[in-house]
Amino acid sequence: MSILKDLFHYNGNGWWRIPKTSESKTNPQYEHPFGKFAGMSKDFWTFITSGKGHASPAYYWAIAIILGLITMIEVWWFDVDELRYLLVPAMLFFSLVKFILVVAFFMHLKFDNKLYSTIFVTCMVIGVFIFSLFLVLSAFHGLGN
Amino acid sequence: MSNQDVTIQHGEEIKNSTGVSNKKLLMWAFLGSDVMFFGTFIGTFMAYRNKSLNGPYPSDTLDIPITSISTFVLLMSSLGVVLALHYLKESKMVLAKLWLILVIIMGMIFMGFQVYEFSHFAHIGMTPQANLFGSTFFTLTSLHGAHVSLGIIWLIFLLYNEYKGNLTSENAIDLELAGLYWHFVDIVWIIIFALLYLITAGDGVPPGGLPWIAGQ
Repeated sequence: MSILKDLFHYNGNGWWRIPKTSESKTNPQYEHPFGKFAGMSKDFWTFITSGKGHASPAYYWAIAIILGLITMIEVWWFDVDELRYLLVPAMLFFSLVKFILVVAFFMHLKFDNKLYSTIFVTCMVIGVFIFSLFLVLSAFHGLGN
Repeated sequence: MSNQDVTIQHGEEIKNSTGVSNKKLLMWAFLGSDVMFFGTFIGTFMAYRNKSLNGPYPSDTLDIPITSISTFVLLMSSLGVVLALHYLKESKMVLAKLWLILVIIMGMIFMGFQVYEFSHFAHIGMTPQANLFGSTFFTLTSLHGAHVSLGIIWLIFLLYNEYKGNLTSENAIDLELAGLYWHFVDIVWIIIFALLYLITAGDGVPPGGLPWIAGQ
């Protein structure tokens, strides 16, 4: 009995009793799994979007810097002979990232009406289909030979 | 919904039953058609890649460092357009004009690089008639250059209107449409730079091809 008492009680209070907090009391700042980092990220997002969820000049500059850096990586990759065997997938990946960044943020497609995205993406799919068709024709029918 | 419906999107008042700006919808439809247009030309270029049996070949002609600079200039011009639009919407006219002028200058620098590149190619014997690579390369890059030139003319026209006081935050949609077009030209170049330049630049003499000597 004493063992059970020791297990479930401490100084007369139950071990498993969750302390009640006042509902009016605000949650401590940064009390979540990623602590201060998540709070800082949120603050940065608020800064670059002027707190409106829309882009601000700082936001556009951030996108432009990323685009510039990706271009630098592309040119560097091209110059490194050891990485030449991965050139085609790497360039396709980098150009896709740049493409998405410009379309989503500079062209505002991320924030704009979904109808515009639907029109553009549909045409994009047709464009990629035409592109792929040429390549398939080239591969199987010797186009240009 | 009736035709009297009014929707507010990005500060713009839209008075129609679709709830979206007709001008912007038309521009996106045009850009969609242009995607397919460029898709065919890029597809043709890739299909004929490494099929030229006589020179000059991509490894003899393409100059990546110079094209990288022009690519960077065009990317930064896209930043200029969004900043010009941002400041125009906030009625900061001086900054809007400044960025618009910078975009026009950057567009002209890009075209200058293209003119230099084309004249250099012609000088070493790479013309549209030279081989399959020349034909497909010049067709695609010239079409892109024509788009950039049209964009520059459009932006100059908008700048003139801004000086005249006809382009204000009220009708910022006009600059937004030109901006969409300009960004599109930019994304097409992103693809061209990767496929036509970076991936193709290492292509030398294909099997069965004749070696090429400069000035031949």
